Amino acid sequence: MKNPPALEHLVESLRCLPGVGPKSALRMAYHLLQRDRAGAASLASALQTALNQIGHCSLCNNFSEEPVCPLCSKGNRDPSLLCVVEMPTDLLMLEQTHTYHGMYFVLMGRLSPLDGVGPREIHLDRLLKRAQDGIVEEIILATNYTVEGEATAHYVSELLKARGLKVSRIARGLPMGGEIEHVDSGTLAQAMMERRAIK
Amino acid sequence: MAAGSIARQDQQPVFVLHTYPFKETSLVVEFFTRDFGRVAAVAKGARRPRSAMRGMLQAFQPLQATWSGKSELRNLHSLEWGEGLLLLNGEALMCGFYLNELLLRLLPREDAHEALFSYYTSTLRALAAGGEVAPTLRRFELKMLQELGYALPLLEDARGEAVAPALEYLYVPERGALREGEGQSGVQLRGKTLLDMAQEDYSDALTQVQSKQLMRTLMSHYLGDKPLYTRQLLMDLQEL
Repeated sequence: MKNPPALEHLVESLRCLPGVGPKSALRMAYHLLQRDRAGAASLASALQTALNQIGHCSLCNNFSEEPVCPLCSKGNRDPSLLCVVEMPTDLLMLEQTHTYHGMYFVLMGRLSPLDGVGPREIHLDRLLKRAQDGIVEEIILATNYTVEGEATAHYVSELLKARGLKVSRIARGLPMGGEIEHVDSGTLAQAMMERRAIK
Repeated sequence: MAAGSIARQDQQPVFVLHTYPFKETSLVVEFFTRDFGRVAAVAKGARRPRSAMRGMLQAFQPLQATWSGKSELRNLHSLEWGEGLLLLNGEALMCGFYLNELLLRLLPREDAHEALFSYYTSTLRALAAGGEVAPTLRRFELKMLQELGYALPLLEDARGEAVAPALEYLYVPERGALREGEGQSGVQLRGKTLLDMAQEDYSDALTQVQSKQLMRTLMSHYLGDKPLYTRQLLMDLQEL
């Protein structure tokens, strides 16, 4: 038995979502058409609206409806600090801490040499331009402590230092409430290597 | 190894070469193992926030893995940190990616290369210790090609005569060193470069330059048309 072409097309389109194979896509399509047509309509229009209205903030590269996002256009942030993160979720996590009051730049990814993700894909040219606006004094690299995040931090810092900018990297070590007995040996080794003098 | 590959393998020394997202919350991990060569396994749930494996599935760290299964894709059961941690920074980190890309491209699956595994380990240690990376990379490239069975005659030329340090040669993949005038296309180098490479001595500046050209030509010969991502990335970065 063959499904109607429109249904086939819907199933095929749903498969563009990460982690959705042919079976899940078919289940989703049946659900939307049979059980939740209102939800399906709202999904369709939300997708269309988002596609039309969401672009990237010209300053921080995060998703934004305006050319400059609310966070960047708010006047109460410190424009001399620029924090570089991989993904918008990282920005949200940092904002939740209420400890950082500078500006951001979202790479929307990381350098991943073995996946062919290079400087072009993560907008390094835009970051370089952003960091050299004459106001930014310090760039804080808050990419992940994975091998890819580390490689990204290294190359971004080399590029920025060559342009005479001050670059720092967020610290790593034991987590809050971390007990040495229960922490993994990778973290512990790093914490020992990067120990600091007590002032 | 038919029976052996079905059984569960406990606490095997491994390195992660690369990981790919798999289904909603899992990863496919490409391991370089000491006793089984390159093995792929599924790490179920490894992308969940609280997964115990999540932080450990990083390249360049000695790990001990337990897996089972008989299909090409094994099931990874557990991971532990191995002996001694390696911290690769900056340039050394990119060299590590280069080594991993070479292994992913040239090492066939399930083909044990114990000597290459131990050489890979000591190469990572040398990279982590800092210092000049070029000689370390040249030694690994040469060792890897030899271990994988590619003939790379360094002491004798294509006619079977001893390489003379002062003579100029043309090195052609699959054929070896030709005397000047015997071949048309190849890497031009002097005999001393070949002899230095056989001795693993990269102190001479010209040897460094010529050995790099030679290894690049040989690598692209064995890798085929698809260029190396790591090399492309370094070139792109230089353009910025």
